[in-house]
Amino acid sequence: MTAPNLPGERPTARALLPAPLLTAVLAALAVAGAVARAPESVRVPLALGAGAGALLLTAAVAVAVHATQNARITRRRLEAVTLDAGRLLQDRARQSTEFDQERVQLTQELTHERARHAAELTRERARLTAELEEERARLTTANARLTERARRAEQERSTALSATANAASRMQALATGMLADLRAMEERHDDEDVLADLLHLDHRTAQAGRLADSVAVLTGARSGRRWARPIAMESILRGAMGRISGYRRVRVHSACEAAVAGHAAEGVMHALAELLDNAANFSPPTAEVHVYVEEVPAGVIVSVEDSGLVMGDIQLRRAERAVSGDDAELGGLTGTRLGLAVVGRLSRKYGLTVSFRPSARGGTGVLVLVPQDILVPEQVAAPPQGVSTLPQVGRAGAVEGAGAGTAVRADSASAAPDPSTEADPAPHAPSTPAPDPFPTHESPGHSAAALPDDLPAGRSEDRSEGLADGLPKRRRGRALAEAEREQRERVRARAAEAAGSGGSARTSGVPGTSGATGSTGHARPAESAALSPARAIRFSSFRQAVRGTLTDQSDPATPAPAETPEPSTPAHTHPTPEGDPTS
Amino acid sequence: MSRPGRDDSPDRLYTLTGGRAHATPDSPFDLVTLVVAECDPTTGMQSEHAAILRLTRLPTAVVELAAELKLPVSITKILLGDLLAAGRVSARHPRKAAVPDPDVLEQVLVGLRNL
Repeated sequence: MTAPNLPGERPTARALLPAPLLTAVLAALAVAGAVARAPESVRVPLALGAGAGALLLTAAVAVAVHATQNARITRRRLEAVTLDAGRLLQDRARQSTEFDQERVQLTQELTHERARHAAELTRERARLTAELEEERARLTTANARLTERARRAEQERSTALSATANAASRMQALATGMLADLRAMEERHDDEDVLADLLHLDHRTAQAGRLADSVAVLTGARSGRRWARPIAMESILRGAMGRISGYRRVRVHSACEAAVAGHAAEGVMHALAELLDNAANFSPPTAEVHVYVEEVPAGVIVSVEDSGLVMGDIQLRRAERAVSGDDAELGGLTGTRLGLAVVGRLSRKYGLTVSFRPSARGGTGVLVLVPQDILVPEQVAAPPQGVSTLPQVGRAGAVEGAGAGTAVRADSASAAPDPSTEADPAPHAPSTPAPDPFPTHESPGHSAAALPDDLPAGRSEDRSEGLADGLPKRRRGRALAEAEREQRERVRARAAEAAGSGGSARTSGVPGTSGATGSTGHARPAESAALSPARAIRFSSFRQAVRGTLTDQSDPATPAPAETPEPSTPAHTHPTPEGDPTS
Repeated sequence: MSRPGRDDSPDRLYTLTGGRAHATPDSPFDLVTLVVAECDPTTGMQSEHAAILRLTRLPTAVVELAAELKLPVSITKILLGDLLAAGRVSARHPRKAAVPDPDVLEQVLVGLRNL
């Protein structure tokens, strides 16, 4: 748009020259003419003045021509520029119009498009909403169905669980009853072959009982049996050993005096049995499993060491997790690997701490910490049954107290008609407080000294636990079971004496034992000098036994008093001494 | 056994003897054998052994031991056999020492009846 370099922009020499040249020629002619005509005197100044005038005129003409040329060129350029500007304005107006049109068109298109999209969107949304509704309905249905199924499954699971627990507890009861029966039979049969068979059955039954216990523990039922008194560690370990198949390979090294409280004893025993079973099963069939018991301030540590397979890291971790009892779920159990899960449950319940480590024996060692709060010192604990720690004197007094065999089944309400015993009506017995912390038959003098003074004379030996009707009487602070056991012990001691003191005594003594719980609460002798009668009594039993053999040897015709028929009711345990001494 | 499992011991008999039910063939024990302890109980000893040693400070018959321990006689004999093998008890049969000739006894009996 700018002005181009036009050829007429600057006045050319050709355009400028003619006018000044013409002017110069005319002026020169005029000067020459004037000079020629002028007088000689003024010729020179005239020539000079006229020449100068001519030159000035020529220059003025040249300047005028140049200016004219310039003006003309400038006017032309102005016209061109004006023309350009008009054209540009036109262009702009045209473009503006086009732009407006374009804009309108685009706006229309936009609106249209927007409407279309909005419609599509609405349609899509409606479709999606419908689908969503449908899906939601479907899911709701499925959810309801699944919930129902889950509820039913849960119900079935709990039903199955409780049925299993129920069955397990019945099996436990059965096993316990069988064990008791077997024990009674073992007491009754003297034949060693029979005894061996019974022991075998006993062992099998104990293992079955452990299995039932395991199922019961896993199903959350209560554990099998409750012990009424603390159980010594030795008995705990032997009870655990007795429930596994390889108990002969277990070696116990224990000098532990502690005992486990009755409520926890069964659980500890069971957990140890499972660990022992693991140790015995995962070691060679000839290798021994060693059990060490150690008392530490936190409780008692039982370590079970086998020389079998070494557990890898993963196995150790898995075992540790199993025995930690953290996951109480039944999932992941297999039928053959119940043991550690059972241990876990029991540890959780009783606060046992179980850890595994490689054993110095080459296998795996298991450490079980039995915490202090389920332990009782041995001094407090009753001595394990079957082990009497009583002094000889006490024993003798008890044996003496049995007196003649008739006293065993003597009517307890009336005084026993034995001259060696003093009458002791039963009704007084229950009111007697327990003066003796050691609640078994102990030295009579001690008891007599500790008795209250207001008791009638001749009742110094009044420590009977029995009522006239044969119900065991519990002293304050004692378990009923203990009283019952003691009562049985006493009766048994009397039966022993009865068996030892003559044929008539024995015949009456045997049925008396079966009615033992009903025949208590009668007199005890106030035995002050117990030692010599004790010895006499003991030898009297020998005498009896020897007399039996002698009768057999010397006089077969004499009816042997020992041939007491075996009682037909085997429900009761018979003390051993009543058996035929001649056999 | 009226309430089994309530207050009897968790020990099974076979665990006391390690599964043995037969006494050794040369066992000197019968029901009336007198047993005398030769030493005191030591720690770490099986509690039945310790109890036997306590009970037999004075001569005691096997049958009485069994009654005191509340164990069958056969089991008691096995336990005694172990102790005897270890030299902790000694056994004495009363027939050999304490009992006079049966003939003499019979004569005494006849004499008494004749009184």
